[in-house]
Amino acid sequence: MTLVIDNVIKKYPIRQSKSVVNALNGISLNISKGQTLGIVGESGCGKSTLARLIVGLESPTQGAITWRDNVLLRGSKNQWRNHLSPAQLVFQDPYSSLNPRQRIGECIKEVIVAHNLRQKEEIDSRVTELLKVVGMSEDMKNRYPHQLSGGQRQRVSIARALAAEPELLILDEPVSALDVSVRADVMNLLVDLRKEFGLTYLFISHDLSMVRHISDVIAVMYLGRVVELGTWDEVLDNPQHPYTKALIAAIPDHSQVGQMDLTVSLEGEVPSPTNIPLGCAFHVRCPIAVPNCSKMIPQLLPIKSSQSVACSEVVK
Amino acid sequence: MRSLISLQGLSIKTSSDGRSLTSDVNISLIEGEALGIVGESGSGKTLTALSILGLLPRGVEVASGEINFNGENLLSIDPERLRGIRGKEISMVYQDPMTALNPVMTVGNQLLEVLDCHNHDVKDPESHVKQSLIEVGIPDPDRALKSYPHEFSGGMRQRVVIAMSLLLSPKLLIADEPTTALDVTIQRQILSLVSRQRSRRQMSMLWITHDLGVVANLVDRVAVMYAGRIVEVGTTKQIFNSPQHPYTQGLLASLPVASSRSRNRLASIPGVPPKPWLVGQSCSFADRCQFAHKKCRESLPLLDARGTKSVACFYPIASSI
Repeated sequence: MTLVIDNVIKKYPIRQSKSVVNALNGISLNISKGQTLGIVGESGCGKSTLARLIVGLESPTQGAITWRDNVLLRGSKNQWRNHLSPAQLVFQDPYSSLNPRQRIGECIKEVIVAHNLRQKEEIDSRVTELLKVVGMSEDMKNRYPHQLSGGQRQRVSIARALAAEPELLILDEPVSALDVSVRADVMNLLVDLRKEFGLTYLFISHDLSMVRHISDVIAVMYLGRVVELGTWDEVLDNPQHPYTKALIAAIPDHSQVGQMDLTVSLEGEVPSPTNIPLGCAFHVRCPIAVPNCSKMIPQLLPIKSSQSVACSEVVK
Repeated sequence: MRSLISLQGLSIKTSSDGRSLTSDVNISLIEGEALGIVGESGSGKTLTALSILGLLPRGVEVASGEINFNGENLLSIDPERLRGIRGKEISMVYQDPMTALNPVMTVGNQLLEVLDCHNHDVKDPESHVKQSLIEVGIPDPDRALKSYPHEFSGGMRQRVVIAMSLLLSPKLLIADEPTTALDVTIQRQILSLVSRQRSRRQMSMLWITHDLGVVANLVDRVAVMYAGRIVEVGTTKQIFNSPQHPYTQGLLASLPVASSRSRNRLASIPGVPPKPWLVGQSCSFADRCQFAHKKCRESLPLLDARGTKSVACFYPIASSI
């Protein structure tokens, strides 16, 4: 196992109202080398918090994240820097994740210098190489982010992440902010890079059709917990958790013109993470809920070797 | 069939330097019909919608063309008359419900304001607006009326905006990416709500989106915009099942199909859309098109009516229907 997330809890206290945002409520996940784990869920499910914890932008309230058998705690700065290099984060919005006043070349160079990865005289050729890897020409070095299109900017973000020579790339909604015709390009690039450099991916998205396309294993999250985990085809072909089923049913599908009725797949809304329902957090919207669901938090239990579900009505 | 609204040769330019943003847009909707305008950012879809209501941002103006609504040209009528039409006969739902609502006014007062502005006489305005919230599925409408927009979730805010837009039973509803900011399960709820209200009210609808999946099961016809022009228009079935413009086809091919189990390489369209004002007298898609010939770079293909479907391409992909 390359990365082990063991029963991680993350709470954000709100001073003003003395309440707590329960962003992650006991998450356990593993990623093996070369694997792509897709995380899908709606806003507020904690998927971005998880990304921030793994790269050390935040520390867990409880639980541990282990990287190659080394427990990562928010310790000395150097320890984090060592960790930051093998795990890099690509953000959703390439418009705000790049410094508008920094030329593209500088922005990539900065990473190489910070991690002390190349001799001074090699840096420039390394920047050129990285740009080439993401399909951009050398003359982009002198451009500013505003001179690039959205797709080009996201390519720069990826090149910048690769500059740290990571083993694990955490991709937090990497194509959501891009135009439709450009998304396919960036997705193809990610697939190519994975193969070329043997990268491990954590691909986070609200868009199940993108997650489906790239992931080996899919974890479905709801209010800070994993409700279903399985290989990508199991989760899509044979979803077991009622939330997974509703999520799949809600995806607009352009391959079935006029055949899909627009009936609602799921009533109600995701409750606030400051006030998570007792028992199974999904029971208030669940079509198959029984009274017991409000009493016990269902654990993620295997239904076969590679698929697990957190639902006491499914796993009996 | 008489059209409810028709845009004829509508071109929009920047006021200062005359940069062309949309050119020669022709759209018409008959009563009760729903048309989807699909395009990527910068394709001119939102400007086209805003021009109908005379809401173009400062510095952008209609350069030529006509917008006929119910026999009146909206571009030349008295501003007071346009105020009367706006919100009453044609209403609009925007992408971001937070900015569409007034943050310092209760939802109830904002709804009442709509009635007030249009001198709409109803016996009991309070119960009228309450009813409108019930219709869009807002739980506890009495409390909702007294609440401020920030007290609602994104999905509920969009329901409020929809309630507001339907309050005076408009003939035409313009929706500009109203579900883009919402989660998929909430998006489905809103699509279902709008679709129900439309058929119940026999209302026409113009739905603007970048997401082909959203309109596939929602509208009757689709117009595809690229670099400020409509490049293809047809029934929803035609556009999705046998696209003739290489851009439409490329766009459809680039989307992963949720229900498919194929994980082949996604087809992509090389390059990026050109700025509409830099296109000139050639096909705007020629530089990205795998089928482009010499002719495509030398003259401008125009929409060519072939039955109910038309495509602005010299070498359209053969129809399979």
